[in-house]
Amino acid sequence: MASTRFSPFELLLLKSRNQTDTAALLLLAWVAVSKGSLSPADRQRLGDMAGSLRHGHDHRLVLDVAEEQDLQAIQLAAEVLQRDRWGERALPFLSQAIELTVQDGNLAAASYHVLGFLADLLGVAPQRLKQLFLEVTGTQFACSEDPSRASYWQARERTWRQREQERQREQRDTHQQERASRQKRQAPPFGDKTLRALTILELDASATRSEIKRAYRRLAQAHHPDRFFSRGEGDVATASVRFQKIKKAYEYLMKDARFV
Amino acid sequence: MRDLYKRLNIGPFASDEEVATAVEACQHTALKSEALAVLNVKARREEYDRLHGLLCDIGRLRARLGLTHGANWQGDVANDFSLKPDVERSRHDHLMEKLSQAAALYDTYQRWRRHCPWIVAGGFATITLLTLGIGFLSP
Repeated sequence: MASTRFSPFELLLLKSRNQTDTAALLLLAWVAVSKGSLSPADRQRLGDMAGSLRHGHDHRLVLDVAEEQDLQAIQLAAEVLQRDRWGERALPFLSQAIELTVQDGNLAAASYHVLGFLADLLGVAPQRLKQLFLEVTGTQFACSEDPSRASYWQARERTWRQREQERQREQRDTHQQERASRQKRQAPPFGDKTLRALTILELDASATRSEIKRAYRRLAQAHHPDRFFSRGEGDVATASVRFQKIKKAYEYLMKDARFV
Repeated sequence: MRDLYKRLNIGPFASDEEVATAVEACQHTALKSEALAVLNVKARREEYDRLHGLLCDIGRLRARLGLTHGANWQGDVANDFSLKPDVERSRHDHLMEKLSQAAALYDTYQRWRRHCPWIVAGGFATITLLTLGIGFLSP
């Protein structure tokens, strides 16, 4: 009697209003599961896809079957789908499957083989599959990953290490920035004299050390007494007073430790 | 992707020690170094096993559906994971057969009910009585 009992997926298929759509949904769920585990985002996307199908039952039942990776159910679904969606009629289904496989722009080796299987099942040539993949995702359909090779693991662990180092560096940087900003906040407001010195150099309170240097060089060149030699003694005298002021302001600011 | 277990001539569920001995005994130096790098590290083997399991499933599905020579199934993967067609029949035919069996059973029941309703009623009554009896006796 055990052989006459129907499996959960067989029952779903028999009760379904559209067997092909139920089978397609199971295979899509299988595509999503084969990546790893079913993430909430995948569930959401599968739910959206189920909305456009005419299966007439709760799509979560199909997801449960797919999560068990029941090979007989998948085979049955493949047979049903193969009967009704062959060749060009399979393309909408295949683009949905492609949408599910691509996660932040890259294609896992598992998904690559699953897509290849579905394409063969539905009579889609490799060339056509490549073209479809490019249309849907904008990237090439290729899989360079091969976990059975030592080089794959070396390359992969190198990127892990690099990422880890980057993360540590970032953490250090933010730490330093925080410390610097805390110091800045704790520093007492500028005194009158500093503000006057800054005004002489045509700067405001947010100036940095390099900006002060640049401003000093520019103003010192413009107001150097030697430039006014041809205009007579009076001009040279006023210029030298101005130049002295600029120089003193600069020297005063350079002594201030707050300008890092 | 190659099937390292098949190439080392061990099963995919071999223990770490069995894998280590098989790798040690391997004569092919290139294969030996790769197997050492992949299967002897726990985290790597776990991930390798995940993909290996999926490819075995795909290989079996392809064998049952007659797709072992598909255009999208080439290279190392096709060499290592293609199985011989097994005795497993089409699941759809199987389902149809089960369905017709269930229908035949239902027909028989209907015929019996129509022609000799008292046997059916008697059968039901016996079953009820038996259940009740067991219910009384069991506590």
